[in-house]
Amino acid sequence: MPVMLRIAFRNLLEHKAKSLIIGVLLALGVVILVVGNAFMDTAAKGVKDTFIGNYTGDIFVSAKAKSPISLFGMQSMGQRDATPVIPDLERVQAKLQSLPGVTGTTSQVTGFALLSHKSNESDQGFALLFGIDPATYYKLFDNAVVIEGRLLRPGEEGMLMSKAMIDKMQKDAQWSPKLGETLLLTGMGTAGFKIRAVPLVGIISFKTDSEATSFISYADVTTVRLLNGMTLGNDEDTPITAEQKSLLAATSEDDMFGAETIVSATPKAPATTVATPRKTLQADNGAWHFLLARVKSPAMAGPAVAALNVWFASEGIEAQAGDWKAAAGPFAKSIDVLRVVFNIAIIIVAIVAVIIMMNTLVISVIERTGEIGTMRALGAQKGFVRRMFLFETLTIAGVFGLLGMLLSFAIIGILGAAHIVAGNPFLEILFAGKVLSLSVNPASVAWSLVLVGMVAVIAHLYPVSLALKVEPVRAMQTE
Amino acid sequence: MTIVELKDVRKVYPLGKVEVEAVKGVSFCIEKGDFVSIAGPSGSGKTTILNMIGCVDRPTTGDVTISGKPTKELKDRDLTTLRHETLGFIFQSFNLIPVLNVRENIEFPLLLGRERVAKKEKDQWIDYLIEEVGLSQWKNHKSNELSGGQRQRVAIARALVTRPGIVLADEPTANLDSHTGEQILELMKKINREMETTFIFSTHDAKIVGLADHIIRLRDGLITENVRNGQDAAALCADLAGTSVPEGGGAAPRS
Repeated sequence: MPVMLRIAFRNLLEHKAKSLIIGVLLALGVVILVVGNAFMDTAAKGVKDTFIGNYTGDIFVSAKAKSPISLFGMQSMGQRDATPVIPDLERVQAKLQSLPGVTGTTSQVTGFALLSHKSNESDQGFALLFGIDPATYYKLFDNAVVIEGRLLRPGEEGMLMSKAMIDKMQKDAQWSPKLGETLLLTGMGTAGFKIRAVPLVGIISFKTDSEATSFISYADVTTVRLLNGMTLGNDEDTPITAEQKSLLAATSEDDMFGAETIVSATPKAPATTVATPRKTLQADNGAWHFLLARVKSPAMAGPAVAALNVWFASEGIEAQAGDWKAAAGPFAKSIDVLRVVFNIAIIIVAIVAVIIMMNTLVISVIERTGEIGTMRALGAQKGFVRRMFLFETLTIAGVFGLLGMLLSFAIIGILGAAHIVAGNPFLEILFAGKVLSLSVNPASVAWSLVLVGMVAVIAHLYPVSLALKVEPVRAMQTE
Repeated sequence: MTIVELKDVRKVYPLGKVEVEAVKGVSFCIEKGDFVSIAGPSGSGKTTILNMIGCVDRPTTGDVTISGKPTKELKDRDLTTLRHETLGFIFQSFNLIPVLNVRENIEFPLLLGRERVAKKEKDQWIDYLIEEVGLSQWKNHKSNELSGGQRQRVAIARALVTRPGIVLADEPTANLDSHTGEQILELMKKINREMETTFIFSTHDAKIVGLADHIIRLRDGLITENVRNGQDAAALCADLAGTSVPEGGGAAPRS
């Protein structure tokens, strides 16, 4: 063994140009892998922590649906289907809370709405609405920092918007909502247009702020349910004023409202009551799209999700449980897509590296034909020649792999010290925040070295096959 | 005791569309401990015969037996083992491993075998060989720091390190000046006497041939003379068929 190492090291030094070509390729490969993986791991960890801590929790429960479903609603091709509500909610919630490790739960309804002034409907914006129960939501997700106003209170009607979204609206539409202003929300659910007026009670920023999530607005769950058309029909006495009564007598209901329904958040005190009870819309207080839960440690999420799904199947409940990735939907997928793109790039680089290294090693074998022939003539079996080249290849891979690793750490350190700020949403996802701060995963580093070693081994196979064809008689033919 | 036996050996090389017959059916025997010269002009077939004795090349037809072992049916692995255990090589161009120093080059064949030699014994033996070839002061030098004669001395020590029965030397003095060549030959002869190692070398130098106990002369792939200590050597293996000597060209008869 030592003599092989000796030969390997000395051959590296003897053939400096070739060693450098191969070594630089390998070192570069390690740098790309380690730094690239650091980007990927940082982005994945950042996105995961951000979503678990701020939006999705560790466990995500929804009703079963044909199309993929996430916290941001249904994602079906070319259309937006109504998000189904969780069946048998009370039992599901009780089961979720009883699972080992679950530290808290909350529920949510998600909706989309056009946002406009109550006074001037031509000024419009778009909002993704998270209808929440403030009593439980803020215990689970401490993600909002109040800039103006306050957070939503339990039972209160109103909404919260992010400062980033308000600024964007100001920039794009030269209009933005003001604190305390009553805003018109127009829901475009499958049940038709629903309009609802709610006051803006708070302007917030997210602790892990990014442009990608800044368009999330919070609203009381009743508002979001009504905008989504998650309503119950019921018969009740409707108190109306005398003025309204005379108006009703003068014209038909359709002339007044058309197909739209306005539900005032602040109805005036009743002056009179219509004698005949009429069917009106009331939010379905038991309807929730999602249940979200946090667990003590991330490792407990997987078993809890599995246990829930088994329980759903055994109880015949049309619900499903998933992890934060299922909840984050397209946001989690963007990281996966990035990783796939990165891996494809790595494969292409690896193939190119294998070809270049192979050619270089073939030249080396041709140059050393006499040496190989001499060794064979002196009694070296083919296995010895094979091992000798493998040692040389692994020595190169080891030496330059370690150099590449050190270089990678240096690059990661420099990038961290440079305080690089993400300039767009894509980079914000990649950086897992506004400033790049890469973290190195030891497993990724180990894998990178193994991968580079494998590339080196693959690259040496063909040259070795040529070396093994060198007959000992070639020793006699060298000059 | 016969250590090498060639029986009606032919070697044909394809050269493009034609075939060149380098050795045209030769038979001879070599006795253990002899200093043997295979002589002849360029193209006479002496290196081809040496290659076949060295088991680095196979005859097209005929049999080669080394230390009583027929080589015809041996697989590559067995031939390699035979080379390692029985044969030592001295090459015309020295063929030292460039990245190893003198001592490591000499030690190298010992690292190839399955048999493990005790380190102390091994070191003593290598030191003895280095001393014997007069390179004690150069043992840590690499081959590119040595003269041609010194390199060939390293090659001689390397050829002897496994204590082979036979050492093959292909024109060992061809790349040396005449004085160094004589020194190398004297060294080989000395080792031949002291260790009773059989030396078989190819040469076309008449002066070197004069030192041999057994001379096999070749011309155009055929034996023209086969003499051992002034006697016809054909009798060494009289049963061999196909020993070819052209008319008036020597004493080896066809059997």
